[in-house]
Amino acid sequence: MSFRIPIGPYHPALEEPYKLELVCDGETVRDAVMHIGFNFRGIEYLAERRNYLQGITLVERVCGICSNVHSLSFCQAVEQLNGAVPPERALYIRVILAELERLHSHFLWAGVAAKLIGFKTIFMACFTLREKVMDALSAISGNRVNYGMNRIGGVNRDIADPQAVLNILDEMERDITRTIIPIFLEDRTVESRCKGVGILSKEQAVAMGAVGPLARASGVGQDIRRSAPYCAYDRFDFNVPVETSGDVRARLVVHALEMVESCRILRQALSTLPAGPFHTTPPVAARFKVPPGTAISRVEAPRGEVMYQITSNGTEIPERVRVRTPTFMNMATVRFTVLGQDLADSPLIQASCDPCYSCTDR
Amino acid sequence: MTITSDNFAASLQKLGLGGDWEWKNGSWWRTLDASDVRATAASMVSLEARLVAITAMERPDKELRLDYQWDLKGQLLSFITATSMQQIASITDLCPAADWVERETHEYFAVEFTGRETTKPLMTRPGDPIGINLHKETVQ
Repeated sequence: MSFRIPIGPYHPALEEPYKLELVCDGETVRDAVMHIGFNFRGIEYLAERRNYLQGITLVERVCGICSNVHSLSFCQAVEQLNGAVPPERALYIRVILAELERLHSHFLWAGVAAKLIGFKTIFMACFTLREKVMDALSAISGNRVNYGMNRIGGVNRDIADPQAVLNILDEMERDITRTIIPIFLEDRTVESRCKGVGILSKEQAVAMGAVGPLARASGVGQDIRRSAPYCAYDRFDFNVPVETSGDVRARLVVHALEMVESCRILRQALSTLPAGPFHTTPPVAARFKVPPGTAISRVEAPRGEVMYQITSNGTEIPERVRVRTPTFMNMATVRFTVLGQDLADSPLIQASCDPCYSCTDR
Repeated sequence: MTITSDNFAASLQKLGLGGDWEWKNGSWWRTLDASDVRATAASMVSLEARLVAITAMERPDKELRLDYQWDLKGQLLSFITATSMQQIASITDLCPAADWVERETHEYFAVEFTGRETTKPLMTRPGDPIGINLHKETVQ
């Protein structure tokens, strides 16, 4: 006998609104229909009615987790149009912020996943680690979220004491290696709960335009930091972890290994932070009016590729601001990953694609 | 085949995607006749390209400029085309990733994607007006 089970739009597991209607035969999911848009704020509409400086503040509020990548992507697109070239030190600081943000996002995700697996000790460990990253972000920017670091032509604040961040990094790396990696890669309980669950094949990932760790766990090896480097990523040595099984365990492994790679990038960037200014100072008029044209910026956010397309008509207000977020592409894959799975596994499967509805709905 | 900025034009020629490509501000650009949207989408899918976005923009003549962005082996390709009578052929049957993108574009800019069975609301709710991002007042 078939049952239609509406879940949402408010969830006890993921504190963001969306609705999923599951059609089940007994305990087995046979179909799924998603409803999104509960967080729709018309960010693109609003951005086309504000000047470029206001736009930076606005787009940073697209997401409460990966806020920095939105202002970074926005600024990079504007810099292509007005020719502002950020100094080398600014490019390194942007990388440091982006990788700290990736770490805290991955810790958040790992904690939520651990809780859904039933491993609450690891949930606590992940959130303890996340607090250390938040402390580092707060020390650099003055904020735990919405860092306000990016500006057109560089960053707003310097990192005066890279060694202090390196000291936090030492602690984090040790805890990741001792706690997160062994649990997510080797623990039998985690393996039995996640292996073979919620599979997304490589073909499905490509067809649905999936990006980020979700796609890389299905054998799609793309990472914008490597395939279309921005900021100073082409100066650093790092690996792009790829798994091929496409199940929840593969997503755990990719996320865990990406934490290690983020630490590697951070160590290189903090150790070799170039001296010099951290922003350019264009004439006042050039800060507000952007030459006509269209530019695209892509950034590898914690959840995958973010794309901003900005069209200027030469005035202070952008003609068009297009925001394409990673979860917008990734979330639709849930329809495939829950099919044929146990109803009880559906929360973990949904969470395993690391959804962000603020980003999706904008 | 590795496609780089240096061998881009020759590589795309080999792949049957020749044309006047121009690298500018973060993407390769070329214009595309609206009647070729589906054939191009079919080519991109066969090359395992990933649909990144469809970006709509208003034009003075009331039509919509549509930029179809695809990632082909790390290179971002933007095909610039336009609607006719605010309509253009859907590519969702060729590329499932286009489903949500087309539905969103329909809601924001009132573009009619022809050939779809339905264009259900995505961000809005049934009965809500469409064209909510158009610079003029909302159209019904």
